[in-house]
Amino acid sequence: MEKQRIRVLMVRLGMDAHWRGSMVVARALRDAGMEVIYGGNQMPANIVRTALQEGVDVIGLSSLSGNHMILAPEVVNLLKKEKAGDIKVVLGGTVPPGDVEKLKKAGIAEVFGPGSSLKTIISRIESLKAVKAA
Amino acid sequence: MKRGIFDSAKIDEINEKTAEWEKNRYGGRRQLKNKYKTLSGFDVKPLYTPGDVVDFDYLQDLGYPGEGPFTRGVHPTMYRGRTWTHRQLAGFGPPEETNKRYKFLLQQGATGINGVFDYPTLRGYDSDDKDVYADVGRGGVAIDTVEDMRILFDGIPIDEVSVSLVTCQPICNISIQSMYFANAGDRGIPLTSLAGTSQNDFLLETAITVAPGVLPPRASFKVSCDAIEFCTRHAPRWNPISFAGYNYREAGCTAPQEVAFVIAHAVACSEEMLRRGLPVDSFAGRLSFFLSAHNDFFEEIAKYRAARRVYYNIMRQRFKAEDPRSLMFRFHVQTAGVALTAQQPLNNIARSAYHALAAVLGGAQSVHVDAYDEALCTPTELSSVTALRTQQILQNETGVINTIDPLGGSYYLESLTDRMEAEVLKILDEIEGKGGLVSSVESGWIHAEISDAAYKYQCDIESGEMPIVGVNCFQIEDEVLPIELFSSPETLKVQKEKLRRIREKRDPRKVQKSLDAVARCCERNENLMELIVGEVKNLITEGEISRTLKRVYGVWEPPLF
Repeated sequence: MEKQRIRVLMVRLGMDAHWRGSMVVARALRDAGMEVIYGGNQMPANIVRTALQEGVDVIGLSSLSGNHMILAPEVVNLLKKEKAGDIKVVLGGTVPPGDVEKLKKAGIAEVFGPGSSLKTIISRIESLKAVKAA
Repeated sequence: MKRGIFDSAKIDEINEKTAEWEKNRYGGRRQLKNKYKTLSGFDVKPLYTPGDVVDFDYLQDLGYPGEGPFTRGVHPTMYRGRTWTHRQLAGFGPPEETNKRYKFLLQQGATGINGVFDYPTLRGYDSDDKDVYADVGRGGVAIDTVEDMRILFDGIPIDEVSVSLVTCQPICNISIQSMYFANAGDRGIPLTSLAGTSQNDFLLETAITVAPGVLPPRASFKVSCDAIEFCTRHAPRWNPISFAGYNYREAGCTAPQEVAFVIAHAVACSEEMLRRGLPVDSFAGRLSFFLSAHNDFFEEIAKYRAARRVYYNIMRQRFKAEDPRSLMFRFHVQTAGVALTAQQPLNNIARSAYHALAAVLGGAQSVHVDAYDEALCTPTELSSVTALRTQQILQNETGVINTIDPLGGSYYLESLTDRMEAEVLKILDEIEGKGGLVSSVESGWIHAEISDAAYKYQCDIESGEMPIVGVNCFQIEDEVLPIELFSSPETLKVQKEKLRRIREKRDPRKVQKSLDAVARCCERNENLMELIVGEVKNLITEGEISRTLKRVYGVWEPPLF
């Protein structure tokens, strides 16, 4: 049977305007066989709405503006409210190391700081999906 | 007619000797890599000789500093007459805080202000907009009304210090630059005496750093050209646009694309200004450029030199400019932020110093050196002073300023400058074939070019082909961060409170009248800056102006993926 493809929604958080990171990761995930929906800039409520409509497994948030401590946890909380806590949320961007633990406590499944390799990002997202399926 | 300066019999002899050396001395020995390439992918040979620059015609290709084609520099004296401006980027939080940082940097010997704005301001949003609460005061200073502008420059002699406003996007620039001019007027400083630069680059709005709800390319371009026209007529010492090749490069493009895109942009603006009836020499002298200094040292120097030569030829031949200033590619450099690493951040001091050295050997007019913590946060006071000191060490201790274009005549550098020039011209032709730059943005071609180059760059890091110290080699396991990070001062509350007071005290009829006038101005296709400079006194906000523009022009979804 054909392996089910992982569906990922990739968005930039809030006003953040840097698309290079999110675009490069989106292309890498697609090349790794995932289905990627690129959502542009969105606020948490829209992100969750799009994720539900598209039936994604994973939401990839990108932020280089420093807004991640406010907006990323909001996405997780809204998902829970919608009873869609099984959708995993990952975050990439300029995240200072000190924030990582706080973000994980807030329910962000993975945090990819500057310099993260595409290989690592792909394999962690694949294992998230495996956990979800199990 | 081009005439090489080398004797052709001598060249034959050199080529013969070079071939012999390659075969007998160099060949057959161990080489660390199979292929050597520049960062942008040009092949690099083991050795360069006069045989690589056989048509090298000194007078035509290089000439003299301050004379066409300006390959060696735009000023006759270069850094012996005046050093480059040390223009460190600064801005964060509310204007009260950034005002303090400006004063601090000026006290420390900075010779110009380089003001950066927060994410909502750059995208045309007010601090109390429902979608921006997480971004207010981040990445720059928050400005909502002309009152904020007064606070931002309070006590700073803006009639003496040149001020760069990093108003990346035209939708932001049209309001913010107008507020800056209006504030100068309130202080009794005539526009004619203001020196400075605004960024005002429509590619930043539509292709490079996009945001929710941007203006369509043609509208954004029109708005940027309004500022150019306004300054040409009223503020002749102001550079109304700074073609932001730096940002194009940060988004992923290569060195030749960076230069080709900025020059294509200058061509588009020049054509539009001519269409508006302005003679080329009235505006071209104020078109300015902003480039990156990336990792490949020689390629970057070749890039700056090639840019000057290409631009000179285009402005002279295509636009028939005569004033020497119209023919000069004058540029500011920022060291490449994208080359900084979050790992072992103090290494960034060394990286940025090499970048700055390339900028200065390439003849930059002003330089910003990145702070070592920029891959992680907004620079702290310590990191920004260290960056400024890096410039001061370069200028005062290394001797690089003693002679002009010291690497000119290097066989490698001249050959690379030629190669860069040829590649830039090729890309310019391609853009021309697509109907010019604005059309190339509308079709998504620019986005695809940049995205492809960015992806390739990352794949090269991934494969280890491009070593990055601390990232894919010489890593430290479980590194403890050796630096303190900046934390932004409270901004949201401060700005919201100010806006609340302003909305309460201003005259709503005047506000409505002003905004109606802005809408009418858009509909009639008149110059927006002519109008907005006068209207901001009624305390209309940046967000209100932007929303009016979007209502008339519509919004656009950039074709990114």
